[in-house]
Amino acid sequence: MRGTRLSRFRTLIAGSSAALALVVGLAACGSSSSSSSSSATSATTSKPAVAASGPGVGKPAVTIGDKNFAEENILGALYAGALQAKGYNVTLKDNVGSSEIIHKALTSGQIDMYPEYTGVLLSAVAGQTKNPSSAEAAAQEAKAFLEKEAATLLNTTPFYDSNALATLPAYATQHSLASIADLKTLGTGVKLGGPPEFATRFEGLPGLVKEYGVKPTFVPIAIELSYKALESGQVSVQNVFSTDGQLLSGKFKVLTDPKHVFGYQNVAPVLKKSVLAAEGPAFEQTLNKVSSLLTLKAIQQMNAAVSIDKQSAASVAQQFLKANGLS
Amino acid sequence: MGLLSPALAGHVVAAAEPVIPNYGAQSSSCVVHNHLFCSDWVSHNWGPVMWPALRGHILLALVAVSIGFAISLALALVAYRYGWLERPTMIVTTIIYTIPSLALFELLVAPVGPNVYSAEIALVSYTLLILFSNILTGLRSVPDEVLDAAEGMGMSRRQSLLRVELPLALPAIIAGLRIAVVTIIALATIVYTIYNAGLGVPIHTALGEGPFKTELIVAGGLAILLALVADALLVLAQRLLTPWTRAHAT
Amino acid sequence: MHEFVEAFRFIAHNGAIAGEPGLPTLTHLSFETLKVSAIGVAISIVIAVPLGVWLGHLHRGSFVAINTGNIGRALPSLAVLAIGDAFLGLGLTVVEVALVVLAVPPIVTNAYLGVDGVERDLVDAARGMGMSGFQILRRVELPLSVGPLFTGIRTAAVFVVSTTTIASLAGFSGTLGDVIANETSYHFSGVLGAAICVAALALAVEGLLTLLQRALTPRGLRLGDHEHAARPPVEAAVASSTS
Repeated sequence: MRGTRLSRFRTLIAGSSAALALVVGLAACGSSSSSSSSSATSATTSKPAVAASGPGVGKPAVTIGDKNFAEENILGALYAGALQAKGYNVTLKDNVGSSEIIHKALTSGQIDMYPEYTGVLLSAVAGQTKNPSSAEAAAQEAKAFLEKEAATLLNTTPFYDSNALATLPAYATQHSLASIADLKTLGTGVKLGGPPEFATRFEGLPGLVKEYGVKPTFVPIAIELSYKALESGQVSVQNVFSTDGQLLSGKFKVLTDPKHVFGYQNVAPVLKKSVLAAEGPAFEQTLNKVSSLLTLKAIQQMNAAVSIDKQSAASVAQQFLKANGLS
Repeated sequence: MGLLSPALAGHVVAAAEPVIPNYGAQSSSCVVHNHLFCSDWVSHNWGPVMWPALRGHILLALVAVSIGFAISLALALVAYRYGWLERPTMIVTTIIYTIPSLALFELLVAPVGPNVYSAEIALVSYTLLILFSNILTGLRSVPDEVLDAAEGMGMSRRQSLLRVELPLALPAIIAGLRIAVVTIIALATIVYTIYNAGLGVPIHTALGEGPFKTELIVAGGLAILLALVADALLVLAQRLLTPWTRAHAT
Repeated sequence: MHEFVEAFRFIAHNGAIAGEPGLPTLTHLSFETLKVSAIGVAISIVIAVPLGVWLGHLHRGSFVAINTGNIGRALPSLAVLAIGDAFLGLGLTVVEVALVVLAVPPIVTNAYLGVDGVERDLVDAARGMGMSGFQILRRVELPLSVGPLFTGIRTAAVFVVSTTTIASLAGFSGTLGDVIANETSYHFSGVLGAAICVAALALAVEGLLTLLQRALTPRGLRLGDHEHAARPPVEAAVASSTS
């Protein structure tokens, strides 16, 4: 047997101590730089300071969830921050999951509220296949669906985050493009990029073909590479989202969708009716106030700050709330 | 409909013009231009983003392997005693195994919810096949002569188990632990799809932002490093606890 | 339970969903999954088999050969995809690179162990008969290593099939992972249906390779249990889900 039991034991202790020291060192690094950040210290939930007074004091605690992408993180932080400023005891659970998962979390009581897109609620959760006829119809149909689950939808935001087609301004001027319908004359000569599912889903290319009679050549481009593909000329027209921060730069022009093939995707908080009743009228008013301020420009600026400038959603939301007297 | 006035409910509200603050350009040009590695971003975000993700990842894996080991040990000991239990246990655990991890996570969300319990149930399930099989193989590999000798020395069944059979089964057990730990660390990168923990969270965020190379490399690199370090530590433990196997290193 | 019924209905409809006429069929997605996997496995075989066999023949580099096997297992596939993404951008290339990185280690390890583990007496006898090194390799060591060699290839192949589903999380479309990662559109029944397809594909690939192995094993060995590689039967199932 090589080495005595004692020396083996010592080696084991030495190895474990080294590993422990490494872990402690990493943790120390972690806690010292986290104090410089104004946002969440934990990856899962955040609890910024709750105001000591306000209509929310004494009301039952409420948990807000959001889906796992930047815009939802921003919305969650906005609603949570505004409520906390009014004294509500809010816990924000980031990145709960995709639409169906977060909706199940709501109906099973694991969260009390989350921000939802009206069109997504109808297609992903309610299973509808036809586009609603207007933004208001979308909201009403969503509300009607939620009634069956003893839940409801509050006021919707002015902005909507739906699919859009963007192009370079030079290209648009060259071919006199203002709306998607104008692409018809270009026939197959126009290269349209988008994620592969864009080519097969009705809310994507097939819908455009049907409603506008366009016949572009489809080029599969992963969604994160959208703007790169446009700038490099790999595609002439690209599927993007209407609230992308990149659209503020002036380097891209969005083609209008007069027939609303891309549907309606305004945002509204979804919550159980029992929660709404328990939290009192100020709860709803605060949320509606926040929603009313979310114009397209506002959300685009916030998306730009988070996605391009890599600021945290929580800090961007706080800045917006402060600037508007809501925090 | 008492709380919501019908005129306003669900309507698109006329926008009150908001004040849009200047968020400023807080990130370096390295980040904005998405260079391969931006150390300033890393030092800023180690505390709020990376360390919690790493810590959460380690925790997920540790809990899963511990619980999985406890269950597998119990099952293996029972199957060691009552041989007929081996087959059904192997069948069940193998079936769980062939379900692609992503699918198992999502399937657990419906009954259990998008929380740590779903994540851990899935992760624990994946350890069962490896650990059960290895522990049982290890126990069975003890030579009969040794068992007879132990019996001959007057050891009870429990003494024989604790002082002879389990120690001799250690190489196989630790080999199984190595595979299980490394497998679970790899699987934990996908937990983010149902629960906001683990290194998959920054990977997912980064994938949606460009992709954001620095964050991808750091998070991905940490996951790989974690697995390698865990494997190395277990190899060390194996060498130390079972010196008699050094000649036949696997 | 009801989800299972729905899942089989989803499979029976070849992946169609009411109201979405343009969706790719499950057959198409499965085919694409197999195609991507096949390319990855083929490249890995070309790289790993000669390397492992050569090392085993020379009885050199055991540390490297065996530990790359362990390291390969240690690489979380999503992490490998993420890093490849950062360096190479998204696309088939980076997915194949990731698949090769993940598939080469088990093939190398098992090829090495197989050739290295051929009984020395046989090799000595062959040398005594006057065979050159290469002849020994071709006529003695390789035929006797078919078992472990194929074990490694089977492990890698099953692993690769399941990892292509993870590629969808990294933005790579076209495989069955699209369904599994897109629960919003396909609902639980769709996810379960696609998962069953992936599992079936993995088992089919394993079955095919087993048949091929049996065909290539020298007749004299077929009756014996000549597994040199210390691979518990567990590893097939392990590999099919470690993604």
